[in-house]
Amino acid sequence: MSDLAVKVSEPIALKARLNEDWLAVVIGLAVFGLALVSISGADLLGWAVTTSVYTDLAQALNPFAKAYAWLGGGGALVATYAALLVVLSLGVSTLGGDVRKFAIAFTAVFAIAYASWILGSYAYIAAVTPAEQQKFGLAWSLKLTNEGGFIVALLSGLVIANFFPRLADWLKEAIRPELYIKIAIVILGATVAVTAAGRLNLASSLLLRGAAAIVEAYLIYWAVIYYISRKWFGFSREWSVPLASGISICGVAAAIATGGAIRARPAVPILVSSLVVVFAVVEVLILPFLAQTFLWQEPLVAGAWIGLAIKTDGAAVAGGGITESLIMAKAAAEGIKYQPGWILATTTTVKIFIDIFIGVWAFILGYIWTNHIDKGPDKAKPAEIWQRFPKFILGFLFVFAVSLWLAVGSTPEIAKALPVAAGEANIFRVIFFILTFFSIGVMSDFRKLWQQGFGKLAAVYFVSLFGFVIWVGLLISWLFFSGFKPPLVS
Amino acid sequence: MSQPDLKNEINAAAVEPLLPIEKKLIGWSLGLGIGLLIILIGINHFFPIKL
Repeated sequence: MSDLAVKVSEPIALKARLNEDWLAVVIGLAVFGLALVSISGADLLGWAVTTSVYTDLAQALNPFAKAYAWLGGGGALVATYAALLVVLSLGVSTLGGDVRKFAIAFTAVFAIAYASWILGSYAYIAAVTPAEQQKFGLAWSLKLTNEGGFIVALLSGLVIANFFPRLADWLKEAIRPELYIKIAIVILGATVAVTAAGRLNLASSLLLRGAAAIVEAYLIYWAVIYYISRKWFGFSREWSVPLASGISICGVAAAIATGGAIRARPAVPILVSSLVVVFAVVEVLILPFLAQTFLWQEPLVAGAWIGLAIKTDGAAVAGGGITESLIMAKAAAEGIKYQPGWILATTTTVKIFIDIFIGVWAFILGYIWTNHIDKGPDKAKPAEIWQRFPKFILGFLFVFAVSLWLAVGSTPEIAKALPVAAGEANIFRVIFFILTFFSIGVMSDFRKLWQQGFGKLAAVYFVSLFGFVIWVGLLISWLFFSGFKPPLVS
Repeated sequence: MSQPDLKNEINAAAVEPLLPIEKKLIGWSLGLGIGLLIILIGINHFFPIKL
């Protein structure tokens, strides 16, 4: 489910995760609520900074709303930073974190991450279509779209993690990819709903196909990877359960939830989670480009495949965003203009469906282990299903439901104003994505993991991922989504 | 438990044979998963994605 928030050698407070989920819901709902106020005409978030593709840096930054044009790009950037600093510092204080350390570290994290985003929007990196190249007077460009900034942020984090470990350590109080991506997913509910409202039939079809993702992750991937880990690599049950869950379901939360369910030592799922994050980074750097090259004519297959193959929320949903940009860019170059949002919505739907059942799966494993394998007085309880349910999904569903109702069940005036409000909230979704990418990079110290001797764990992951997960994910995505394309821009 | 301990444990742990309950778990998961996928593929065929 989620990505890693700790380095290998650090302890983890399992109880704090629950608070982090609810904190993500509170912050996500606050952004959504403030954005909705714009429907009434009072624009409370229009000062948020946006970045356009540029060749002249002075033209790159702007406030979202024209009403705040007087702020200028620099003013909007400072206002956005200050607002995030205040809100997140308050949030971190509720989690029991060191607010002073967080504030200092977050300042550096925001500065580097957003600078990466700005760099990614440089026209030589981002310009896609011949028309764009002509507009900026370019003979060539990398055609990464402005969302190539996510890749730049990830690479910046990787450089810090692997070449400046002391800086990475200094930043760690603000390296919270789980919190950032959960907030982003709650906010994403509005964008997904606005997208879905335009094509309700297609949206409901996507939901039906989310069920296939659940079956694939829990019943097929898990069973095969558990077998490979136990039979081929000789891992114990205590290692194999978190490993199978981390690789097949969803990173940290699944590894920790199922590890806890079978009463594994806490260090075991944490180490497994570290591995999942490192592989997710590699996947994000490779799979979107493979999808662009081989699946650009099947955009929904690509979106579902990313959701099934990349095993952390942060990397998967953000990878879906990159995939969407890359595929839309390639399609645009061929003269096909898809409506934005559908590929990312497919990835998110697949991922969220998988997340929902983590608690149920942990309970099933807990029941089997405590009744048949490690029999003892400490039995698995049904309440664990709720305890382990990822609460931020409730935030996503709430935002989605309210936005969908506003789009199709309210007055035409509100429905017309909603996309702008959702777009305003989406500014913050993008910023939290950037922070997530950078944070994941900072946590991925390849050298340290290698030095700690976890090559055998990595071998299980490598064999499972490249021998099975990617290909079965592609097959299932193809079976359920091939031939169906996002609506075209009218 | 320290990192070197875990490293040694991973590399030198004695093999635990698969218990019948584990075999059942794997078998039932795969059987149920493949069965449900076939049903979902059928549903997908008869109720294709609507644009």
